[in-house]
Amino acid sequence: MTVKTAVAGLVLVLLCGCETVQPWERGLLAKKDMQWTPNIMDARLRSQIYASKEASSGGAGAAGGGCGCN
Amino acid sequence: MATNKNDRNPALMALTSSALLLPAYQGAQADAPPEFAEAGMQYSKYKEDDITAKKAFGFTDSTRQRFDIDVAQFHLLAPVLDDWSVAVDVAWEDMSGASPWFVGESASGDPKVIMSGASIEDNRTEVSVTTRYYFDRGNSGLSLTYSDEDDYESKAAAFDGAFNSADGMTTYSGAISYSDDHIDPTQGAVPTNTTSASKDIYSAWAGVTRIVSKRAIVRFGLSYTYRDGFLTDPYKFRDSRPNERKEWVASGGYRRYFEEQNSALHVDYRYFNDDWDVQSHTLDVAWVWDYSPAVTYTPFIRYYTQHEAEFFNNLAQQDQRYFSDDYRLSAFGAFSYGLRASRKIQNWEVSVDAERYRTDESWGVFSGEESPGLVDFWRYGIGLNYIFK
Repeated sequence: MTVKTAVAGLVLVLLCGCETVQPWERGLLAKKDMQWTPNIMDARLRSQIYASKEASSGGAGAAGGGCGCN
Repeated sequence: MATNKNDRNPALMALTSSALLLPAYQGAQADAPPEFAEAGMQYSKYKEDDITAKKAFGFTDSTRQRFDIDVAQFHLLAPVLDDWSVAVDVAWEDMSGASPWFVGESASGDPKVIMSGASIEDNRTEVSVTTRYYFDRGNSGLSLTYSDEDDYESKAAAFDGAFNSADGMTTYSGAISYSDDHIDPTQGAVPTNTTSASKDIYSAWAGVTRIVSKRAIVRFGLSYTYRDGFLTDPYKFRDSRPNERKEWVASGGYRRYFEEQNSALHVDYRYFNDDWDVQSHTLDVAWVWDYSPAVTYTPFIRYYTQHEAEFFNNLAQQDQRYFSDDYRLSAFGAFSYGLRASRKIQNWEVSVDAERYRTDESWGVFSGEESPGLVDFWRYGIGLNYIFK
């Protein structure tokens, strides 16, 4: 419950407390360094390895296909 | 404000698109197709540390060596017509090594692992194709994935979409997926829990991305996954798991650019919970540093901790309905850290990376029995990318 409350509070604060950024002011946000997944192959491999060695998976989108590794 | 697709300014699109959309599926990052096609390949080596005599019975050279995997990956992303893109991802894996078969009790009372004996050999090939349609305020993608290995086959499909608010400050995303998996355990190395079984995986995800400032962006996501079918590990001697698993994930991400340092801070958090009583926290932090226009260094650190599954015991309780001594269901904490370095040379980019992953029961925030099967590993990789421009 505490975690859920903290997450909900954080979401509200971050979503409400934003300055308006015009399209022409978004140059830094569009840099490759700022992407959620800068390297797709690296991200795919790392998420598969972690999922095969831990009891948790997912969180970055819909679940993909399975493998015999877990 | 709606815009005519034919009037799109490529430079403006580059500025406004890629940072706005939350990838509903890895690879979706823009409301315009990529300007240029790109292709990449990567070779990685994954090597688990040998298990020590203190933690294993029947200690020999052939049984102390845990998994060693070679991985080759290929990625292609290309614009098609005016509003479409196609991505193809292929991965080949070649693995060998021994894995924990079951846990027994030593004369001193300590739990010790009995390894699978003869080295297990396997190969896996995965092919994934994603088509994506881009419209003025978002995109939508369909992905098909096929994975085949000696004893396992998986066929999966995913559909996702992302939609920008009118001011472009917020992006709403969603995705659904289905996977049809089948296992025919390889016979001979160890007795197996089944000779043939299947499972289905259904998943749904929703997320929102928000621009916080000229230098920062955040995202939040919620997902639910339902697994139905044979979820027991067929190669574990003492393993019997429920035929259903319901998983929930809440996640958050933050990116902030620091102009003076030419660097971007990446922070990602995930909370996981399921009806097997597994809970986990995952925190990923990376610092993407543009040392020069051509050279980038990315040190990263990851912390993971999980609560044990309700039916986990080092000495599996076989009188219970469900039981398992699989170290992956035990309580533990894990730290991993690494470095990625890349250099651009005209249209080429060469990258190398290394990661060390270590586990210990005492590093976790949840208490539980320490499994002797916990694994540490190294991962190394080298990659090459080319942009067709």
